Amino acid sequence: MKTLSIIIQVLLGAALIYGTLDMPKWGDPHSPAASHVSPYYLQHSIEHTATPNVVTSVLADYRGYDTLGETTVIFTAGMACILLLKRRDKSQGKRHV
Amino acid sequence: MFDFIVDHYNYWTYIGLMIIGFYAMMTKRNLIKKIIGMNIFQSAIIFFFISSSVKKGVTVPILEHAHGHAAHGLEHVTHAVDAMQYANPLPHVLMLTAIVVMVATLGVALAVAIMIYRKYHTLEEDEIIMAIKRD
Amino acid sequence: MIEQIPILIVVIPLLSSFLCPLIGLWRKEGCYFWAVFSLSLHCLASVNTLVTVIESGTINYYVGNWSPPWGIEVVVDHLSAYTVVIVSFMSLFAAIYAKRTVEQELPGKIVHFYTVFLLLVTGLSGIVVTGDVFNLYVFLEISALACYALIAVGEDRAPVASFRYVVMGTIGACFYLLGVGYLYIVTGSLNMGDLSTLLPELYANRVVQTAFVFMLIGSGIKIALFPLHTWQPDAYTYAPSAVSVIISTAMAKTSIYALIRIIFSVFTLDFIIGFAPIFDIICWISAIAMIFGSIYAITQSNLKRMLAYSSIANVGYIMLGVGLSTSTTLGLTPVLMHILNHAVMKGCMFMVACAFIYKAGLRDIKDFVGLGRKMPYASFAFILAALAMIGMPPSVGFITKWYLILAALDAGKYIFVGVIFFSTLLMIVYFWRVIEIMYIRVEEGEGSEIRVDEMPMSMLTPALILAVLCFVIGIVWLSGAPSPILDAVNSGFGLGVLP
Repeated sequence: MKTLSIIIQVLLGAALIYGTLDMPKWGDPHSPAASHVSPYYLQHSIEHTATPNVVTSVLADYRGYDTLGETTVIFTAGMACILLLKRRDKSQGKRHV
Repeated sequence: MFDFIVDHYNYWTYIGLMIIGFYAMMTKRNLIKKIIGMNIFQSAIIFFFISSSVKKGVTVPILEHAHGHAAHGLEHVTHAVDAMQYANPLPHVLMLTAIVVMVATLGVALAVAIMIYRKYHTLEEDEIIMAIKRD
Repeated sequence: MIEQIPILIVVIPLLSSFLCPLIGLWRKEGCYFWAVFSLSLHCLASVNTLVTVIESGTINYYVGNWSPPWGIEVVVDHLSAYTVVIVSFMSLFAAIYAKRTVEQELPGKIVHFYTVFLLLVTGLSGIVVTGDVFNLYVFLEISALACYALIAVGEDRAPVASFRYVVMGTIGACFYLLGVGYLYIVTGSLNMGDLSTLLPELYANRVVQTAFVFMLIGSGIKIALFPLHTWQPDAYTYAPSAVSVIISTAMAKTSIYALIRIIFSVFTLDFIIGFAPIFDIICWISAIAMIFGSIYAITQSNLKRMLAYSSIANVGYIMLGVGLSTSTTLGLTPVLMHILNHAVMKGCMFMVACAFIYKAGLRDIKDFVGLGRKMPYASFAFILAALAMIGMPPSVGFITKWYLILAALDAGKYIFVGVIFFSTLLMIVYFWRVIEIMYIRVEEGEGSEIRVDEMPMSMLTPALILAVLCFVIGIVWLSGAPSPILDAVNSGFGLGVLP
């Protein structure tokens, strides 16, 4: 198992380093990530949402559906933990496995 | 070549963290160590996203001189916003969601580990497999 | 209200799951009826969506009225509508089936079981209708968390099986998220339509190639493709009954849908043909999956475990269809057919297998002696589904194998025809073993009268409906009625014409 895992780590590292070869420089202000969609949020945040904090306006307004999904994730985790950890009442008798 | 390595040093950091986390998940025998490895692995991905939002010498994505305009209901701001002065807000937003997902997964994984402990009274994988084989 | 139906597909199970604990406070047994009611509304919404899509084409719904790529978009095209109908009907059948088994297996946890069940359906519906790659990750995690919890409350070694699934499922989702990050860092966009227009000039970019590989591996872990399948047999075997039904039908198909969406809608056909012989590799891996899945299934003595290995073989069939889709005029037709067919067949078989456990406590195949007479209707449903799996005409299994063989002949890869025949032969071996023990062998010293102890109606009805559908849907496929959907999907992806 250890040798298999070392081989997989090496392959993973090689794939990751291969992917890094064409990535933009760190801190590049003209990278595609910084110039395609994001300037719209910065420029129109006050006009559309009256919020100077752009992270808030994107999170709650432009991409509010993702935030709905995120709150559902928390709810699911809470319900899942109750489902998993709830102990049997003594009054219901011994559980047969 | 050397410039390339120095210019991209944030990527080497996250690659190292990812490999550490993935190795822990695959190789360790204790369930809690596997969960910690999972956490490291997910944190590395979050670092990667956040590092893509940086621009040299910019400030946080909270617009300056903006309070008060919206309160008066003005449709257009009197001075235009220069997007180059602010960091990229979108990866921060995505990673807020991803951090929440990471914590929720951690919670459910630990709850399953508690269930395993209640049943087999151990958290080492080899002992659990032996206990299963005995039944 | 009608134009809001695409988002209602996600919202209906979500709101019902929020209200489910409140109904559970009032009366515990009410949760079952509430779950069935809300899933019926969900089925109505999905059928309405399918009809709308067939009549007027793809639906684009902007959430919050922000146009993409700045807002999130809900895109329902023919493939999405088809998959969401399958998901909603399978979850409705699983919920109807769940009443007796949940009462027996999880007596104190009924309320929370149905809540998490409805959240699982929410996650699956959200994956199918979304048009944004990050949103797909969020709903993937909702469905995955619900699934981990639902599997872990099963019997015997279910927590250990679920823990293994937690680790592997998280690796898969994280690889997918890494792929999304790589795509974002070179394009700046997260919308699927926008990415498909931005990516063509970046095909030689190594980041895009690495992103494709990571997303493929991530999805491959979720669908349990051959080398990454190790979590699946234990998870299917030890999960509670209703959960086995829904994850083997709805969850597996949704993960395949996500893979098809990533391969054909985000990275379009030109990328795959130019990049690497990825589809040849997929064909060979799926051929190995088909053979090994069937060989492992023959060696199993636990019925649910045998069905789990049979699922691995059937995922091999679907991936063989995906691998052959670019080299044949049939395109994705065998894949779409098998998504529906396998859901119907496997759902019926898991329902019957879990009914045997519920009614008689029998898990091992060698204990099934005489069950054919003791539970006649249940065994009849199992026989219909087993005959459909083997491929007796005009059942759905025969349709899938027929179209897969046609696709392999069309592509000129005759070895896969041999693989399909060989795995069918292996399927006949292991299903015939079960049928023989159930019907033909007689117990020692058994009298001529056997008490008929049939399974309850709430469990029997969905199983019989699915068993009959195995043959009815086969006739529907033969008549060619669903061909508008198939043609629309193939032409939408640019398939169906030879390169």
